[in-house]
Amino acid sequence: MDSSAKISKLSTRMMPYLAILQHDMRALWASRLVRLWLAATAVLTLMLALANWSKFQDAPMIATLLFPYLVFPWFFVVVVLGVSPVSGSRAEALADGILSRPVSRSGYLIAVWFARVMLVWSIYLIVIVPFIVLVTLAKRPVLEDMVTIYGIVTVLFLVGLVLTFLVSLGFLMGTLLRKPLLAVVVLIFVWYPIGLILSVFSLEEFSPISLAQALPTQLRQPWREVEEGPKVNANKEDMDAFTNQFSHFLNVLSGTKPQPKADTPDFFESEEFANFSLLRVTLGYGIPTLLTIILATLSFYWRDL
Amino acid sequence: MELAIRTEHLTKIYSQRLIAVNDMNLEVPRGSVFGLLGPNGAGKTTTLRLLLGLQRPTAGHAEVFGKLCGPNAVSVRSQIGYLPTNPKLPGNLRPIEYLDLLGKLSRLPRQVRKPRISALLRAVGLLSATEQRIQTFSTGMCTRLGLAASLVADPPLLLWDEPTAGLDPTARRFTLDLIRELGKTKTVVVATHILSDIDQICDHLGVMHEGRMIFTGSMQDMKKRLRRDGFSLELEGDADNIRLLADEVNNLEGIDAYLGAGQTLLVRIANERGRSRALAEVLKLIDASNLSLQAVHSGQNATENAYLQLLQEDEAHGFQR
Repeated sequence: MDSSAKISKLSTRMMPYLAILQHDMRALWASRLVRLWLAATAVLTLMLALANWSKFQDAPMIATLLFPYLVFPWFFVVVVLGVSPVSGSRAEALADGILSRPVSRSGYLIAVWFARVMLVWSIYLIVIVPFIVLVTLAKRPVLEDMVTIYGIVTVLFLVGLVLTFLVSLGFLMGTLLRKPLLAVVVLIFVWYPIGLILSVFSLEEFSPISLAQALPTQLRQPWREVEEGPKVNANKEDMDAFTNQFSHFLNVLSGTKPQPKADTPDFFESEEFANFSLLRVTLGYGIPTLLTIILATLSFYWRDL
Repeated sequence: MELAIRTEHLTKIYSQRLIAVNDMNLEVPRGSVFGLLGPNGAGKTTTLRLLLGLQRPTAGHAEVFGKLCGPNAVSVRSQIGYLPTNPKLPGNLRPIEYLDLLGKLSRLPRQVRKPRISALLRAVGLLSATEQRIQTFSTGMCTRLGLAASLVADPPLLLWDEPTAGLDPTARRFTLDLIRELGKTKTVVVATHILSDIDQICDHLGVMHEGRMIFTGSMQDMKKRLRRDGFSLELEGDADNIRLLADEVNNLEGIDAYLGAGQTLLVRIANERGRSRALAEVLKLIDASNLSLQAVHSGQNATENAYLQLLQEDEAHGFQR
């Protein structure tokens, strides 16, 4: 089979899922919630930028602009967007219209999840990128800062990853609990004390508030330093730290006593967040995101429509 | 006999509480127009949803053209065109956009999809409404669009749930004619509780009652079941008085009475009883009651009478069920 025939076969196979993605994106952009969110996030970002224009250097200023996405109020909107597609009356409508067609449930779920993730990323980037460009290029009455392009890209990626995780968490709750309102309430009760929950497992580094605090440090991080340093060792350190956190997490769960090890300063103890690790945080949010998608798919597969 | 649908001991119990479908064995011949008949809540819609894989059976299994039904049975759903009762359609779309989306879901290439959409919109009489958004459609228009939607992929099996619900007489006539026409080339399953629809279009029939299939067979078999020694009495008066009259008639020897649709009393006379004398006794009871007799029919509405008889027998069997 030649490559064009393979591509044609693949595009035929993917046709229903691309159609669902396109349809869902269109419906989302037409929804009042999304339009309102776009307007509100633009207004809030503008207000934050104006209020801190002559107060903060570039890095803390960008971190301030990103704070609403990590903590409040956009967490709520992102969760609602995640919850809605597979719960409430929408489930019945989609069963009649889409799932009675030759479409697999897992394929449908991944298509609508992807549509929501794309939408959230689009709104977030449409608003935040112009402001970041403005903040970094404008001559402001503050001391010059050493914000790097690498730092900006990684920070945008991290915040996007957190938003992706939130959409996925909403998705999971939407499939587990059939009532959208209940799913949102449960998520609020789970998400807001997340710092406390993470501290029990010594995973404070992953809490959105500490992530927000660490953003200025990451924004000043140069790309070259990462290249110059012993890359293998750096990754090894990251992996060691991740393994330690994971084993501590398991110890807490199982109730076993953790093995004594060399004392290193905690993430919070150094206020400069120098030991902030991009890989660790990416894994810390990426793995749970994958898990929530898998769980949501399983839960949706077993569900009656 | 080649089968389009086969179920074996198909059972659906919701949350360990409600039995929607109970140990159903069903065989639908390929190429037939099969009427799935039953009162509201008999389990007709659940059966269709089990066939589509929208719901999972608690026990037993269902097959469509020899393939097992289930949530991820994409190949089964590609053979089915489904019309739900009062279909919920995306109001923000226009009919062409909606049918195009469904065509894409069925993996139809553009050169097949586009001409078929035009042909279907013309066939269901929505060609003049293509500019309108679906949210502005009346119930009848939504049902007609739903009919077109179920035919987009040109599937060999159609599952239509209450296709005439909410339609005006013209649209109803159109739908019944369409089913008759489609029945020449496809297998059509029509779930309904409207007996006259079944009477007009179906060649095979399944009667459901409280989740059980109490009869399957051809329409002729169904009508044969009806004992002809009976009358249907159209009455006017209070429903309680009609019920009271039915009890009194049942006390007469060799005469059984059942409540029919509206204010009708169905009277069955045992073979050993003389029909004229039995009828005279019933008429005497009506005369003594507060009811007035509007009409007496004999051997009419055969399907309706057979259906009601089946339901009554099923209820009377009690434990044997």
